[in-house]
Parts: sequence; C-alpha cells; structure tokens
Amino acid sequence: MTASGGDAAAPAPEIVVDGLTRVFGRRDVLRDVSFSVERGGFVALFGPNGAGKTTTLRVLATLLAPTSGSVSIAGHSLADDPTPLRRTIGLISHSPLLYRDLTAYENLRFYADMYGVEDREQRITELLDRVELAHRRYDIVRTFSKGMLQRLAIARALLHRPRVLLLDEPHSGLDPHAVDILDGLLAEIRAEHTFVMVTHHIQKGLELASQVLILDGGRIVFRQTGAVDPQAFTAVYREHVREGAVA
Amino acid sequence: MSAAPALSGRRQFWALLRKDVVSELRTKEMLISMFLFSMLAMVVFHYAFTATGDIDLSPFTGGMLWAVFVFASLLGLNRSFVHEKDEGCLDGLLLCPVDRVTIFFAKMTGNLIFLGLIQLLAVPVFTVFFVTSGYWADLSTFVAVLVLADIGICVLGTLLATIAMSTRARDLLLPIVFLPLIVPLLIAATAATTEVFSGDVTWATLWGKLAFLLGYDAVFLVAAWGTYDFAIGE
Repeated sequence: MTASGGDAAAPAPEIVVDGLTRVFGRRDVLRDVSFSVERGGFVALFGPNGAGKTTTLRVLATLLAPTSGSVSIAGHSLADDPTPLRRTIGLISHSPLLYRDLTAYENLRFYADMYGVEDREQRITELLDRVELAHRRYDIVRTFSKGMLQRLAIARALLHRPRVLLLDEPHSGLDPHAVDILDGLLAEIRAEHTFVMVTHHIQKGLELASQVLILDGGRIVFRQTGAVDPQAFTAVYREHVREGAVA
Repeated sequence: MSAAPALSGRRQFWALLRKDVVSELRTKEMLISMFLFSMLAMVVFHYAFTATGDIDLSPFTGGMLWAVFVFASLLGLNRSFVHEKDEGCLDGLLLCPVDRVTIFFAKMTGNLIFLGLIQLLAVPVFTVFFVTSGYWADLSTFVAVLVLADIGICVLGTLLATIAMSTRARDLLLPIVFLPLIVPLLIAATAATTEVFSGDVTWATLWGKLAFLLGYDAVFLVAAWGTYDFAIGE
C-alpha cells in the first residue's frame, strides 16, 4: 500500500479537486467536493446511486465542465487548455468506448494515433497479449463478448501510458476471468499510476484503496486515508446510504 | 518511460478519417441508402417528366440534380455520428487530446468523400436520363460547381449534425435546420448547373455564382471553426 505522507518534502499531489460544484438545471449534483490524491495513490469513491460519483469522474475526465471549483491533474489545470491534461488520463467505464465495426487492432491503432503513441505496433501487440486478446487481433469487435470488450477497453485505456486512471465501476458485468485479468493488471501497474475508482464493490474498493471517500447527495460525507476496517466501513457506508435515501 | 508523446493534428486527422471510411466501407449503410435514394429519385423524375411526351427538360436539370443530392446528403449526414452516439464512442473521442476542429475537418472530409462517391455514380445516370446537350467542353466548370457546392453542404451539414447528435430528435432536427440554411447555396448551384447542362456557359454570369458558392463555403467554414468546440462539447 502507498504510504500517505510523513516525508519532510512531500511531493505535489497528482490530483487536486477543490470546491467542485456541478449544477444540472436547478439540481446541484456536486456541492463543494474537495479532495487530493498523492502520486501513486488510489481513491475509491463510494456512494448510493445518484450521489454524483460518475459526475465527479466525468469532470476529472474533462467530459463535463465544472460549474465552479477547480481540478488539477498531473500539474495541468482543467481551467486552462485541457488538451495536455487529457494526455495524462485514461478512462475505463461501463461503456468500452470501442468502435464495433472495426477490429481490435484497428480500434487500438485509432486510439494510438489520436494519442500520438510512438511505438504503436509494439504497444498494441504488448497490450493485446496482456489482456489475452492477441488471437482476436483482427476480429471485428462486434463479435466480442462483454468480457472481451471490457478487456480490450482496458488495453485502450492503457495504450498511451496515462499517469492517472479513472475507473467507473470497472468490475461490473465482467466474467470471473475478466475480473482476474483486470485485477492482475491493476496490481501490475499500481505503483506507477494514480487511480480514482467509482465502485459499489466495497471489498474490492477497500483492498485497493489508499483513500476512501463516500459521496452522498453531491457532498463528501466520509473520508479516510490509510487502512480501513471493512466491517466498520460497511457499517458507516450503510448508515450514510440509508440517511441519504431518507433525505 | 511515460514521456509525453508528440501529438500531430495531421496524424489525428488521418486516423479519424480512416476510421470513418473503414467503418462505412465495412457496413455500407450510409452509401447504400444514399445511392438507392439518388437512383430512385432520378427514375421517378424521369418517368414523371417523360409521361407527358417530349418536353425540354434543360431548364429544370440543375434543380433536379441538386434536389437529389441535397436529400441524399441528408441521409448521410444524419448517420455521420451514428457510431459515436449509438456505440457510446463519443466519450472516447472527446477524451483524446485532439483539437475539436480536427474532428470537424475529418468528419467533414468523410462526408465529402461519401457524397462524391454517390455523385460519381449518379451523375452519369442523370446525364443519360436528362441532359440532351453535351457538356464535355465545360466538364471542368461542372466539377468546380460540384466541388464548391459539396463543400458547402458538408461543412454546414457536419456542423449541424454535430449539434443535432446530442438531441433526442436528431433525425428531425437536422433537416429542419439544414434545409432553410442550404437554400442560398442550392439556388446558386442549381443556376450554375443548369447553365452548364444547357451548353451555354458564359463566364460573365457563371463567375458570380461560383464566387457566391466560394463565399458561402468560407462563411460556414469560419463559423464551424469558431463554434465547433461548443457544438461537440457537453
């Protein structure tokens, strides 16, 4: 697990979210959300449905503009030109973000060109091997199963060697084999990446996280850094989710 | 190890264009619908006008040709973001560190290629059906009219298709906004084409129409350049 401070010269955080607010119409989906993550850190973001978890992730991914507040990733501010920031992030979400009428190779080549990956062929081969899809390299993605699509989506997200990985319920809909591959990959790249993961899977989230947040009603209602006792956390989580549901 | 890779707008443009062309050539959904509509419209026009006997169609040729192409292009434009929207790939595209104008130019060029392919097949058929005088001598002028009008259709159409993509009634919204805005271009292209097909081209009159088409293209290119970031955003 990543240590959470204590050194005299602490490095600048990799992700800084400060006073983030997002309004849709008259509805405040995010209200004054602030947190920071050190380089190599892993934030697990929990919360009931509609708490604002995915909205937070979409703002971090530059897919949604904040109504107010600031976001900085790897030293790049979202308020400035977001292009350099986009180079530093990779997103794995429910949707694989793959073109169904292209082959696995064509999809990865497309994204490699979009991100300016210099060792394109070598990188594609390496990642297809890693997600065990080398044998389906030239197959149309439309013919892939959900698990295969998600494995290819992992390869897509890692293609440009992002410093920060944003994961939106990455385990949902995966077969056990795909879960093993995803977990293996996450363990392998854990040290050199910073993660923000939205999940409902408490056990998995706590296993991986160096910082745990519970978001409810657009606010952070619980945060803890370092090791978290799963039983105590589950009790706290249930309490917040139930209160949130009543509110 | 994770040094920032060099980004090239040209490489991104070709990647976007290749992706759209390969996807379309694999499914042919857009090309087939555009081609079938063009052929069907010309056959209907042919039988409608020849049913009443021999009439001189030359004053109507430009109008018929551009009516066919404008509606055929609408079929294509409506589908130009279908992969991004229906397959959820728009987020993947917007995540990429790419200038939004590069996305516009790649999409616009793709639409231009598809419309050009349809015209390559449809113009000879149209000529056989409706054009009585040879226009070989003015072929380059005709190609100039086609290219300038096609650019206008695809520039405006791509911009509006992008805006319509995020709405629930995108299939309805695009023609409702596109058709009124394309009318000035349609009038100039129709007049210029009729002049070419009549075999009576005079540069004094044609120049004004070509200049209008050029101006129309320029205006909407600048508009797309300035607004595309907002058009494709949230």
